[in-house]
Amino acid sequence: MTSRIACLLVPDLPWVALVRAHPELAGRPLAVTAGAGPRADVLACSPEAAGRGVRLPCTAAQARAVCAELVVHSASAALEEAARRALLDAALGASPRAELAPVAAGLRAAEAAVFLDASGLTACFGSEAGFAAALSARALRLGLPAVVAVAGSRAVARIAARRHLPGWLARPPGEAGPVEVVTPGGDSAFLAPLPLELLDPPDALAEACTRFGLRRVGDLLRLPRRALLARLGQGGARLLDVVLGAGQEPPPPAAPEARLEESAELEAPVDRLEPLLFVLQALLSRLTARLECRGLGCAELELGLRLAGGAREVRRVGVAAPTGDVRVLLRLAALALETHPPDAEIEEVRVAADGRPLRGDQLDFFRPAGPAPALLGRTLAELEALCGPGRVGAPVVVDTHRPGAFALAPFAPGAAPPPRRERAAGCADGVRESAPPYVHSLTVRALRPALPAHVETRAGSPVRLASAVARGDVVQCAGPWRTSGGWWSEDERFAFDHYDVVTSDGTAARLRYDLARGAWTVDAIYD
Amino acid sequence: MAHPPSARLAEREPRLAAALRDLGVQVRRGAPPEAPSARCATGIDAVDRLLGGGFPRGGLSEVVGPASSGRTSLAFALLAAATARGELAALVDAADALDPPSAEAAGVDLARLLWVRPPGAREALRSASHLIGARGFAVVVLDFAAGGAREALGARSWLRLRQEAAGTETAVVVLSDARMAEGSADLALALAPAGTRFEGPAHPDALPGAEGALLSALESELWLVRDRRGGPLRCAGARWPQRGAA
Repeated sequence: MTSRIACLLVPDLPWVALVRAHPELAGRPLAVTAGAGPRADVLACSPEAAGRGVRLPCTAAQARAVCAELVVHSASAALEEAARRALLDAALGASPRAELAPVAAGLRAAEAAVFLDASGLTACFGSEAGFAAALSARALRLGLPAVVAVAGSRAVARIAARRHLPGWLARPPGEAGPVEVVTPGGDSAFLAPLPLELLDPPDALAEACTRFGLRRVGDLLRLPRRALLARLGQGGARLLDVVLGAGQEPPPPAAPEARLEESAELEAPVDRLEPLLFVLQALLSRLTARLECRGLGCAELELGLRLAGGAREVRRVGVAAPTGDVRVLLRLAALALETHPPDAEIEEVRVAADGRPLRGDQLDFFRPAGPAPALLGRTLAELEALCGPGRVGAPVVVDTHRPGAFALAPFAPGAAPPPRRERAAGCADGVRESAPPYVHSLTVRALRPALPAHVETRAGSPVRLASAVARGDVVQCAGPWRTSGGWWSEDERFAFDHYDVVTSDGTAARLRYDLARGAWTVDAIYD
Repeated sequence: MAHPPSARLAEREPRLAAALRDLGVQVRRGAPPEAPSARCATGIDAVDRLLGGGFPRGGLSEVVGPASSGRTSLAFALLAAATARGELAALVDAADALDPPSAEAAGVDLARLLWVRPPGAREALRSASHLIGARGFAVVVLDFAAGGAREALGARSWLRLRQEAAGTETAVVVLSDARMAEGSADLALALAPAGTRFEGPAHPDALPGAEGALLSALESELWLVRDRRGGPLRCAGARWPQRGAA
């Protein structure tokens, strides 16, 4: 199969990253500078600013002189890195093999590119043009308008994408970027009429090419390789290799581990939860959009805070089941912050998530249908956000003698064995289902914590009880029997004498006498 | 139109039946899952007879009674029957009173029971809404039997819960010490303690000189006090003995 590589290219990453984080800036003339102050260099500007005459290179003061209503923002390395990673997520949503291109230098420093393996994907998307359009749409959903090109190699795909850059600034806002598909095997023919500068030759080589009258890629192709090597050296041969697709790199590697991160520096330190939640909501929205693009949910949320004074705090927020629901994650984060407020004002917030596949268990044909796995996962996450961590799950009987001990396990009903079936004579298929006979057992309602009780005794047995749940003369009594354990530990040691009593008000209760503390409590009601 | 089986198929049929018998539970004949019945049975004959088959699916039911009247035992029986059928069940435990060993002894498949421990009555009601919205839980039991929730929840909350349950396959059952849902409930069952029995041997860990046999049974009386779907009340009440597993 012919190798096919797609290039997803964002030419002006600084302003695209800024608008992605601050959607309210969309549609306004915007310039992103390398630093603060009027002499700072403008790294990139929005189409609206370009439309009002701002041209690079220039300084912030020069740009303002041309466009009075220009909004100037300093570039943020964190935002750009997050946008770069989001571009990779958009690519990984369409192809399993993708990689970020190294950050370019010089005039291309504002460019972000991702290469992805486009071989064999036409079966999924209909055609390579369909694949490119889907890829462009995915990038746009993540707030990254990008150009997509498909060709036989990374270099040619990138050149094909760059060919659309002159018209890039004139495109209507909110519209997906253009796509270009180079016919398989037609890389050389595609490049031939293009200017040689698109191959990014070093300055000296570009000058030599101009001196020899080589202006287009086709001029280079017409020359014999040996003569080119003699006159332009190894650099010339490398240019030719790029055009011919010789000595190609291996295809992009498989997807890296899904750890996604978004961060925001606050304009002013925040000490209240409400404004912080506003920022967190935006961060989580971006994070979940990236997760959704890759078909993943957030399994654990990490909340990083940089506090005034330079201290840093990291909190891990457990999620009952992978989810991509922003409301749920926001509620969990709010709960974590409310429970343990930070010690100082917050200057920077970072959220990170481990992406895990959303639940997609195979349903059992022989069981009644339960909730859809994805819906169940979301419900569990919502319940945990509502009730607090560690308060939702499947109950587990703990191997201990301590009364009232319990534990919770993650609720995963798919792992349970199928319902019990038994053979039945005379049944058509020899096997029929039957529910197990109900075992009538004396049921206990635990009281957590055990309620203090005032107990009158006669000859060691309770005769009168006063507590919040049962009160009156003890009309029937059994016991005591002793429960003890944890003798090996000072903190866990317990020794109780238990009595079953029925009081004159009709309540059947389990009384407990703590031998260590010498106190009576009611720890359960029979119900 | 039904076609008579071919002679070859008829010849194979006994062998197939024999193979199925030999393989036992490992192989089952495929058949479409049975549609759930309109009622969620408890597995206790006296109660199911009284309720006309069980608690209504897609409806809100109340089980009301004082301490030791058997509310929890009835809820466990309902949960045990649902999980034994392979269905999922949820317990929204506003009272934080679930004793897992007790539930397991009552036959509840704990792996198919979702235990939600909300911090308050409002959260409990919202949890129930989420569970009903998940569509697939056969039973959602709300345990308010510790009291104190009546004031926190208004009549409108119960009406909303009933509307959310309507049209689903979920039987929503509220345990409490006094009527809470009132007119919003499709069914209301009142329980009262009817006696206790101390029988059998003493506890194996009983101390020397300990008096009496173990508490071995509670008896409850039940009255169907409201049944919106079942027409006129079918039965005034029933007695239900609960015996100790030991």
